[in-house]
Amino acid sequence: MCFPFPVVGVSCKRIAGNMNKENSEDVKVLEAQIERLREELVELERQKQNNYKDMTFSFTGEMQNALSFVCGQTQGRRKEVVMSQLEEEVNKMEEGLRRQTQMNGINLDSCITKTLQRSENKCIQQLCISGHCSEQEFQVEFQLSEEKQGDSSVRTVSDLNIVMDTTDHQSFKNFMSGAKENNDLLLFFRTLRTYLERCNDRCRTFQHFQKKYPSVVSLPGGCRSEVMSLSHPQLPGLVMFIHWLVDVSKEGKVTSKMDLLTKIPERALQLFPSLSGTTEAFQSLLRILGPEAAVESVIGAISLSEDT
Amino acid sequence: MDTVLSKGVFSHFGLLEVQARNRLIRPQQSSRVKELKAEVAALKIKREQLKAEIQTHKTLQKLRLSVDKQSIDKEVEEMEEEFADTELLKLMAKHSHIKDLIYAHHLLGGYNIIKTNNDKAVCVSLATAYEGFYLDTYNLEIDLRSVLRISHHNIPPFIPLNSLAEQSNIQTDVKAFLELLSLHLNAYAGRKQQLKLVKEQFKSVEVMESNTLCTLLVLMFTASTKRTPVLCTLDYSDHTKSLPTRVLFECEDSDLPNSPEWKEHCSLLMETPVHKALMILRNVGDII
Repeated sequence: MCFPFPVVGVSCKRIAGNMNKENSEDVKVLEAQIERLREELVELERQKQNNYKDMTFSFTGEMQNALSFVCGQTQGRRKEVVMSQLEEEVNKMEEGLRRQTQMNGINLDSCITKTLQRSENKCIQQLCISGHCSEQEFQVEFQLSEEKQGDSSVRTVSDLNIVMDTTDHQSFKNFMSGAKENNDLLLFFRTLRTYLERCNDRCRTFQHFQKKYPSVVSLPGGCRSEVMSLSHPQLPGLVMFIHWLVDVSKEGKVTSKMDLLTKIPERALQLFPSLSGTTEAFQSLLRILGPEAAVESVIGAISLSEDT
Repeated sequence: MDTVLSKGVFSHFGLLEVQARNRLIRPQQSSRVKELKAEVAALKIKREQLKAEIQTHKTLQKLRLSVDKQSIDKEVEEMEEEFADTELLKLMAKHSHIKDLIYAHHLLGGYNIIKTNNDKAVCVSLATAYEGFYLDTYNLEIDLRSVLRISHHNIPPFIPLNSLAEQSNIQTDVKAFLELLSLHLNAYAGRKQQLKLVKEQFKSVEVMESNTLCTLLVLMFTASTKRTPVLCTLDYSDHTKSLPTRVLFECEDSDLPNSPEWKEHCSLLMETPVHKALMILRNVGDII
């Protein structure tokens, strides 16, 4: 038999041709599928980036491990291990946060970061931070941009906005609008802390006097107001006011200023002309004795020295 | 016979075809298909991972909002049943919440206290900034054993660290000391930054003299009228401020410093940072 070989040869080519056709169809289908998947991945990646822009998290250390675990990218790691390691890190960080809060005198409740722009050399983020200092609540929003310049990077704050109730804090309000305009974020917090501390000092002092001399001292505007009034129950016409102003300069310098104001009946002034000089006399007392002792001596005078 | 033969031939062909498929053609040609199939599989895994990441991120966002609001949303409560890893996700949300708060403390100029040397000392950072620019950060280590003592620091020598420590009674009130030191450092940073901005923004203004603490600044610029050179001395004797306490103009035309215009300029320079004041003077056309 000599004829089958050439036939087989031809036939093999034919079969190979068919196979090629089949294969190339497979290849085409697969290639199309790959193309589709790639497009899908690009879309998903875009979606992921958008989500990160809305709220930026940093996945490093134990956080990265936890993320990999949740996304099923790590085989063989036990959930308990991932949990306990993350928990340990959380506890450590919590202690650090407590220390910062105590030392800085500022309690932070929330900090949400959005990424507005990110490239190799520049990153712009939008931050919204809220919290409270003493009882005063605040919310600040600003853009933080970090730009690489040679070996170092330059960080700047812009578009600073501060929301805080300043109804009873006129001088602070003026300072605050300047700080906003100049993007003085750090100055704002330094001043806020000092300012509120002084206000708390004033409040404590007023309360102390009210407790010690309840019949003479009253706080018409509450203990957080600037005024403490002194009057003797048997001398209703005569009232003295201690006006204690906590002032903030445009530059953020906090100063306390105390004045004595009087409401003395005309008749009394005629009888005791020396009473008209009380305000000036109080300033000398302040200089010599300091605020607390000066106020104490005024109270002593007005309560006719009976119960002092 | 013909049919038998043909049958036999065809079945022989059939056999050969199978052999050929298995032996010759298949391994060569399907390697491409195999490759592509592997790629499809890899891409599908990647897709699932991305989907999982996006889902996780979305869940974390929801959880974070509820942690930051410090209230538990209904939605978040319902999540319990939805995911097996809710507990872990909640912990992740807490982690990121605390991490962001610590970062925020840092951004707002917090002291950034770190315990060192087996809790026997603390490291404190003092950040400085001026008008939105974060400037140098200074560090000091305070030894906490019996008597508080500053063991290491990188505060410039012209900042009177020891007298500030004494003045604010560091032994009883560390916070007051840090506050005062921070005030001095920030005032210094502010003056230095102003000087830098003057040098950058005003080529026509010459800095004749300045000192390291930036408490003295002598500038020379030209008054537009008669093109007279004016020497302007800014004295910052309050080291806790970045505004001068005294401003003096000197000029060959002795009438100029006493003119109402220049008296106004003098008070402008007392109340406005020098780079901004110069900008105003240039914009109104009084200096070149």
